[in-house]
Amino acid sequence: MDLNYSAEDRAFGDKTRRWLEANTPKDDLKTLAERKSWHRKLYEAGYVGMLWPKEYGGWGATAMQQAIVQDEMARIGAPPAINGLGIGFIGPTIIVHGTEWQKQRYLKKMLTAEEIWCQLYSEPNAGSDLAGLKTRAEDAGDHFVVNGQKIWTSSGPIADWGILLARTDLKVAKHKGISCFLLNMRQAGVEVRPLKQISGHSLFSEVFMTNARAEKQDLIGSLSEGWAIAQTTLGYERGGNSLGRVTRYAIAFHQLVRATRQLKRNGQPLLDDPVVRAKMGKLYAELEVQRYAGLRVLSTLNKGERPGPESSITKLSYTEFEKRYYETALEILGPWGQMMTAREEFEEIDTSSGEAGTWATAFLWSRAGTIYSGSSEIQKNIIGERVLGLPKEVRADRLKA
Amino acid sequence: MDFSFTSDQTLLKNSARSFLDEHCKPATARLLWDDPRGESPALWKEMAQLGWLGLSLPEAHGGSGLGMVETALLLEELGRAAYPGPLWPTMLVADAIASHGTDEQKKRWLPAVAGGDARAAVTLLDSDLDWNPDAVSTRADKTPTGWQLSGLKRYVAWGHVADVLLVPARAPEGVSLFLVDPSAAGIGWTPMMNMDPGTRLADLKLDRVPVRGEDRLGAPGAGAPALLSLLRRGAAGAAAEMLGAARRCLDMAVGYAKVREAFGQPIGSFQAIRHKCSDMLLETENSHAAVYYAAWALDAGAEDAATAASIAKSYVGDAARKVCGEAIQVHGGIGFTWEYDLHMYFKRAKALEAQYGDAEYHRELILRHVAA
Repeated sequence: MDLNYSAEDRAFGDKTRRWLEANTPKDDLKTLAERKSWHRKLYEAGYVGMLWPKEYGGWGATAMQQAIVQDEMARIGAPPAINGLGIGFIGPTIIVHGTEWQKQRYLKKMLTAEEIWCQLYSEPNAGSDLAGLKTRAEDAGDHFVVNGQKIWTSSGPIADWGILLARTDLKVAKHKGISCFLLNMRQAGVEVRPLKQISGHSLFSEVFMTNARAEKQDLIGSLSEGWAIAQTTLGYERGGNSLGRVTRYAIAFHQLVRATRQLKRNGQPLLDDPVVRAKMGKLYAELEVQRYAGLRVLSTLNKGERPGPESSITKLSYTEFEKRYYETALEILGPWGQMMTAREEFEEIDTSSGEAGTWATAFLWSRAGTIYSGSSEIQKNIIGERVLGLPKEVRADRLKA
Repeated sequence: MDFSFTSDQTLLKNSARSFLDEHCKPATARLLWDDPRGESPALWKEMAQLGWLGLSLPEAHGGSGLGMVETALLLEELGRAAYPGPLWPTMLVADAIASHGTDEQKKRWLPAVAGGDARAAVTLLDSDLDWNPDAVSTRADKTPTGWQLSGLKRYVAWGHVADVLLVPARAPEGVSLFLVDPSAAGIGWTPMMNMDPGTRLADLKLDRVPVRGEDRLGAPGAGAPALLSLLRRGAAGAAAEMLGAARRCLDMAVGYAKVREAFGQPIGSFQAIRHKCSDMLLETENSHAAVYYAAWALDAGAEDAATAASIAKSYVGDAARKVCGEAIQVHGGIGFTWEYDLHMYFKRAKALEAQYGDAEYHRELILRHVAA
């Protein structure tokens, strides 16, 4: 057991910090074109697609180096890269399950954010019970015809491509009749309607597919193999970027300390109030425990081990913590903590950094984490069954199947 | 960067577990609950032979020279066994002697501790129950041959079996540490009955207790930092012990949920139980991260070592209470009986919450570090 960074990692961290200090844009990025250009710069410096194999345009870096970059970016407040869903897990899915043609066609443009990707999994009636999805893909000889509706699609309006789960076989049990496709979002049969979320912003959308076209060459894996493919990719979504996230929490904590120095109660700074101090001491302890747990996961990843069902513990832990964190912060800050500011609209959100904005934005956004990419309840089912080995529940849909 | 244990560390953990599974069964601990002494001298000797008592002591004095990570691994297993006895206070006092003692003090006590011939206790609370080392009110007055100690020490763990007491007292120079003979004149014990019969506490009254000049530990007035460092180590170790208790309760709850049936199914198939067990695992794994981060930070002399120890103590205290308590809930009525073993771990975790600084004390320390 040794939690010191190696000399190589320290040197890498120093180099990254110097690069970020020299290159991070001074002004907020307002347009998609500006964000794409920053992304491109990060990519060329080796800070995007770090874990991807070199043969597909990645950098073949270690999990530790990636964590260091995320950490340094959070520290300096650099705008995140975009296309996070694509690079974080759609690309890795194509690398594992895709054909050579698919790899050549899609991966490089994904890395450089030349093409933006979204995920077409959830439906109005298939969220936690994802396998109950109803979108159909019918074989029309040289292509598939897709009909149905998807929802909670991040980056929908700016996406060029989507990874789609659709039903291709109605006769078999629901988990067994699903296939996975890459879908061109820029076609007449695909309509994207933004949804306004509780923060007042529209960062995700509904996607309607009416006789949309999915090419045969864009089927991932074999027909009806979609569920298994989705399982491997959800693991990626739940694992990474724990250090960058905790660094953001820590920056927010120091802002909270500054705010409680300025705000007064009974003529004294709030920070001197013993009740406030006890709450803040507990909050910081919990925050640090998230960091320790993140280091533990990172040390496993760094040995080249794949994230297993244990990644559900990480996801459950930080998302539930994040709710407690901002609940306590707003409790301490009172009306001051509830202010929102108008901000530039940008149609993509990186779930690891959340929405930019005020304490109130962070508080509202914290409700998202325990729902997206498998709700806390689903994570607890996974932990119970696959980590603790508890018996599966008797389920009505399993009885029928 | 590696958060996993070395093969030597894993070996230590496994051998501790198999020894305790055999020699410190729940039935063994229960027998000691009814014993006036409360701990087993035979077990003590065996633990000495295994090298546990001298684990962190210098090799020159009969120890193994290992660190806090190894110590935490051992304490986690002892917590898992609800081991009743003075091992941790003895190790802490011996460490303090190794750090601050004279050659004579080291020669007198360290081989004796490592060899299983001496037990020790430390008095951390005075009458106002303040964990802050600066709050010591027991007085140390100079005499022609040394010192004379007067005051009240509260809730002293395992003092009745100790061969030496580490007593902080206020000398004219400031808080100082003394090695006190428990059989000295002027010492009065009032034993108490703790909720956890495996944690033996007593009040200690010192009425002009004579202490020889050479039994002062460290320089006069230098007691507070030494005590703070002992408290830090003590807190991290107690967290490890609470983690062990939590781990045992989680294992028992999950095992029970797999076999106990209700409504024609194992109760572990119900989400109400499964989700509870998942939350318990989450708290246990986070506690593991907190304990071993703190242990490593103490060994490495990391900048945040003090904060990490306080974080481990306050976080794991809450977590272990919750995990052990929820294990009782998963078991239902059987978990509330004296016969069933769960309450042994539940009580041990709870007893440790109030030792080596409670959560409020440590949270204040954390905030002082971060908001300085």
